[in-house]
Amino acid sequence: MNIAEVRIEQPAARADVQADAKVWDIPLRIFHWSLVAAVAAALVTGLVLPPTWITLHLIAGTTAAALVAVRVVWGLWGPGAARFASFVHGPRTLLIHCRELADGTARRHLGHNPLGSAMIVALLVAVVLLALTGVVAQGGVLKMGPLAFMTTYDAGWTVRQVHKLIAYILLGSVALHIAGVLFESRRSRENLIRAMFDGRKAARPGDIAPPPIVARPVLSAVVATLLLLAGAGTVDALARLPGLGVPRAPLDPVYADECGACHIPFHPSLAPAAAWTAIMADLSHHFGDNAELDAATAERLRKYLLANSAEHYDTLAAHRLRQIDPADPLRITATPFWQRAHRRIPASVFASKQVVARSNCSACHQDTASGLFEPSAIQIPENAEP
Amino acid sequence: MKPIIRFAAAACLAAGLTFTAQAAVGPGQQVVLDHFAQLAKQANPSFGGFSAARGKAFFLAREATGNADTPSCSTCHTADPRNEGQTTVGKAIAPMAVSRTPNRFTDLGKVEKWFLRNCDTVIGRQCTLQEKGDFITFMSSL
Repeated sequence: MNIAEVRIEQPAARADVQADAKVWDIPLRIFHWSLVAAVAAALVTGLVLPPTWITLHLIAGTTAAALVAVRVVWGLWGPGAARFASFVHGPRTLLIHCRELADGTARRHLGHNPLGSAMIVALLVAVVLLALTGVVAQGGVLKMGPLAFMTTYDAGWTVRQVHKLIAYILLGSVALHIAGVLFESRRSRENLIRAMFDGRKAARPGDIAPPPIVARPVLSAVVATLLLLAGAGTVDALARLPGLGVPRAPLDPVYADECGACHIPFHPSLAPAAAWTAIMADLSHHFGDNAELDAATAERLRKYLLANSAEHYDTLAAHRLRQIDPADPLRITATPFWQRAHRRIPASVFASKQVVARSNCSACHQDTASGLFEPSAIQIPENAEP
Repeated sequence: MKPIIRFAAAACLAAGLTFTAQAAVGPGQQVVLDHFAQLAKQANPSFGGFSAARGKAFFLAREATGNADTPSCSTCHTADPRNEGQTTVGKAIAPMAVSRTPNRFTDLGKVEKWFLRNCDTVIGRQCTLQEKGDFITFMSSL
């Protein structure tokens, strides 16, 4: 490019800038694209990737919830186009807008148009509902997070289904949102995706502009910070409470020593009382081996196992593993849940030097002694050797 | 050198060699071995003592008369008992050789518990006193 060309271009460029309207402020644009990233990560880790991605899913979900909290603050004290009061309308405005769209008389909105704003509200509400249902599901099913202390497995599992349903609704809403943006871009002959990057739209006669409200960034920053700190503090304090129905005592040392001599000491909560009774009744025929114990020790361990069997706990493992395979009622690895949870693990991994056998839970699960079997504690050995 | 001194020197050397050969048999293992030897003598007056070589052969033999997954002691304990072993479900077993795991065969209760279980699992019957003593003697000789 030579100097002459630059000189010619400059005035034109300046004229463009002057004709542009600054619509989307910087915090709003950062919010928008951060939420895109967080929701995309949450959807992929939640709906596509295996449960071992739960940690990233929780980070993505927490980030999305925090972003929406900040967005709500900005919706109260941000500038005109960001403020809820300037774009959240009743159904009447929405209907009029739709009718005008059908007539071809709809005017162009510099900020959110009524359909767009309805979608913004729907998306924000969906993320809030996902965060709330996610926390309940996490508390009940995984016994993690702020509600683990009060949420039963059954409640968590039910809410998990709702969480999943809302996730699909959000996915559909995102598709509609993009479709709406493309539709309006075409209708108004303007790249609205670019506008969400640089914040600018061409100012044209007849535009409906957002009200010229001055933002209160300091107030917003203070309120958002306090809100996030209070939220994080509450979550952290509640997450420290012991989970409802979670085993707390360490494994009985005699049990860990005697039964752990040949195989990992399976947490008593991993099998129902009927299975433990049958196992302890015939230790001399113990899955093909003789595992006899002196009567006193055997009786002590039998009592320990029955007092801590699956029926006594509310963890995911205790719930799912108590449903046995009637054809093979004593083997944890024969339960329908175990089979389903491990169906994607290649046989070569179980046969590898690092794992050796299907019953060697602790080769991959780092938290077998707790009985929790959190998906975040799964580490399948890399380069599993034959 | 007077014969008596020569005899004394030879006796000392022999005692030293004997001591070296059985260096791994600690007092704990000796108590257990003596227990089995005494029972063996009671059962069979012509009992001729324990042998590390017989113990080794017994340890390596492929009996395959018990659980098909464990045809031999060496299936889990490996052919060299100085190595760490592994159960069929992946649990590590400390080396059987007394030189590597000094408290092996010092607790009669444990010794009987494991012979009871593993003789049944590997060879489908209980081990004889002779086999138990030979086994411990072999493990103590390594």
